[in-house]
Amino acid sequence: MFSSPLIETNDLGKVYSTGRIQVKALDGINLSVPKGAFLGIAGPSGSGKSTLMNLLGGLDTPTSGSIQVAGRMVSSLNHKELALYRRFQVGMIFQSFNIIPAYTAKENVALPLLFSGVPKRERLRRAEAVLSLVGLEERKDHRPSELSGGEQQRVAVARALINSPDILLADEPTGNLDSRTSQGILNLLQEMNRTQNLTVLLISHEGYLLKKYADDIIYLHDGRVRESEAVE
Amino acid sequence: MRVVDSLEQALSNLWKKKLRTFLTTFGVVIGIGALVSMISFGQGVQYNVTDRFQKLDLFNYITVFPAGKQSPFSGERAGSSAESPRSVLDDDSLKEITALEGVESAFPEVRFPARIQFREKTRFSLVQVMPAAVAATELVKLRAGASFADDYSLSLIISDSLLTEMGITDPDSVIGEEITLLTLMLDLSRLNLSDMSSLFQNGKLPFSEQSHRFTIAGVAERMGFGGPTPLRSDVYIPSGTAADIPTISLTSIWDFFRSSGSADEYSMVNVKVDSPRAVDRVKAFAEEKGFQSFALIDQLEEIRTGFVFMDMFLAAVGMIALVVASLGIVNTMVMAILERTREIGIMKAVGAGDGDIRKIFLFEAGLIGLAGGVFGLCLGWIVTTAINWIINGILARQGIPFVDYFYFPRWLNMGSIVFSILVSLIAGLYPMQRAARVDPVVALRHD
Repeated sequence: MFSSPLIETNDLGKVYSTGRIQVKALDGINLSVPKGAFLGIAGPSGSGKSTLMNLLGGLDTPTSGSIQVAGRMVSSLNHKELALYRRFQVGMIFQSFNIIPAYTAKENVALPLLFSGVPKRERLRRAEAVLSLVGLEERKDHRPSELSGGEQQRVAVARALINSPDILLADEPTGNLDSRTSQGILNLLQEMNRTQNLTVLLISHEGYLLKKYADDIIYLHDGRVRESEAVE
Repeated sequence: MRVVDSLEQALSNLWKKKLRTFLTTFGVVIGIGALVSMISFGQGVQYNVTDRFQKLDLFNYITVFPAGKQSPFSGERAGSSAESPRSVLDDDSLKEITALEGVESAFPEVRFPARIQFREKTRFSLVQVMPAAVAATELVKLRAGASFADDYSLSLIISDSLLTEMGITDPDSVIGEEITLLTLMLDLSRLNLSDMSSLFQNGKLPFSEQSHRFTIAGVAERMGFGGPTPLRSDVYIPSGTAADIPTISLTSIWDFFRSSGSADEYSMVNVKVDSPRAVDRVKAFAEEKGFQSFALIDQLEEIRTGFVFMDMFLAAVGMIALVVASLGIVNTMVMAILERTREIGIMKAVGAGDGDIRKIFLFEAGLIGLAGGVFGLCLGWIVTTAINWIINGILARQGIPFVDYFYFPRWLNMGSIVFSILVSLIAGLYPMQRAARVDPVVALRHD
């Protein structure tokens, strides 16, 4: 099942310089994630989890090492290519949902299609289809303020999936949700992982959730991988 | 990102901040309004002078007058020495001028004072003699009636301002009515040269009055600008008829003493040519014969240079408001970026390229410019129309005819909108660049 890895990082490093102080956020990360995996990433705050997510999501560029996704060297893409990579190859969801308050659920989900020049009617039609996939067809015309936290995060998931990416990066997606709602979201991710062979990378504080959903967990500490453990 | 979508995004963003959008746009409206008002004033003056002259064919007129006579336009005395024999501008020279190639007609400028009697009112005015052919041109703008039928008809054209002075407002009502001209003629029998003082003592001036009856053929608009136009009077009579009226030509006191009774000498001859090239021919002829000449076309270059400077000055004044308005655009858009940093971050995270972000902001600036341009132009129209009314209202009381002091050529209407968009886009360049450079990692941490 796990043939050639979908994501491969080689000695990946990221150094932030603020004035004279240099902070090593990531230091020599070597990852190999096969297609269709559900990888959990754990670690205390400041361990570099989010930095790793941002690098894998193409929001940031590494200061050393490399990232390869589906055989492409993501770490050497230019601005324009990175935008396309973010648009088509990865979907990201965040702890704070990051959906646009002024847009309806449907409009938020359709947003990535806007930049590909898909006509409006087509955009909204596809957004509706994905919204029903995450169980929100009833709420498609509501604005974020009219939706619960769990619903907002489902909107974010739908938006992340609209361009059928290879990878879903979830950065503490349940951090703002109660445990029942959290499980609902993670069940959704698991379902996508199983039915659509979507590769999921999940960052979480909560070890029990990772243990429940992830096939494999890596622990980050001070920007390094401490150990990796397989889930039974 | 499609153009329609960029436009929709920009519109909805502007709509969300209605007050701010309105205020920023209003700044541009005032800027463009000031600019177009200034430029339209410059254009108005230019139009009233050159373009109108051109339309009236005034660049095809040249005036010939005897040397030594004070030029009626420049005010400077042309150099004529006492020794050189003075050339006489008479019927013979008139014929010679008419025979020149390219000359359409030449008519002497004959004006004489007369008392005009009409509907029990009397006004003193200058009567000008004009060939029927010239009176029929566009030079004479008729407000009612028609021009004289021929050079020998007993009809005349009267100016609307003279009628107004007499308290008549409807020009159509006077057409065909009888009007009397009372002219003075020199009565030598009354002139006692040995005792000039008697002239003033017993009021017996050496003049006698003659009355001539005419019908009013037409009412003409009085030219708002005097100077080089061959129309300088309020009453025009045909040349053939005029020959039968004995008068003294009293356009200048010089003529009275100089002409030494010679009725044939003219103080000035207006020449109409068919093209500006013929102007040079007439000038050469005049120089050869010892006459002086004046052609408006010679002043044209000077006039044009003057207009360029005036336009530049007016535009510079008008630009001040627009520069201030464009700073307003920069300010508004930088504010918008600060507010929308997170939104920009989100857009980038889901795959928006720098170009997409740039487009949204550029369209916002462009829309402000478009609205500012359109409404600024409207404001310019409204303001200039109002000023035009007020100025004309004041000047009408002094008998000055209605003139459009502002003129909006098509290029100004189109250009002001294009210019407004352009200036707004330039103002939007820096904010746009700044928006495109927003770091999504930082923006998404942003609250």
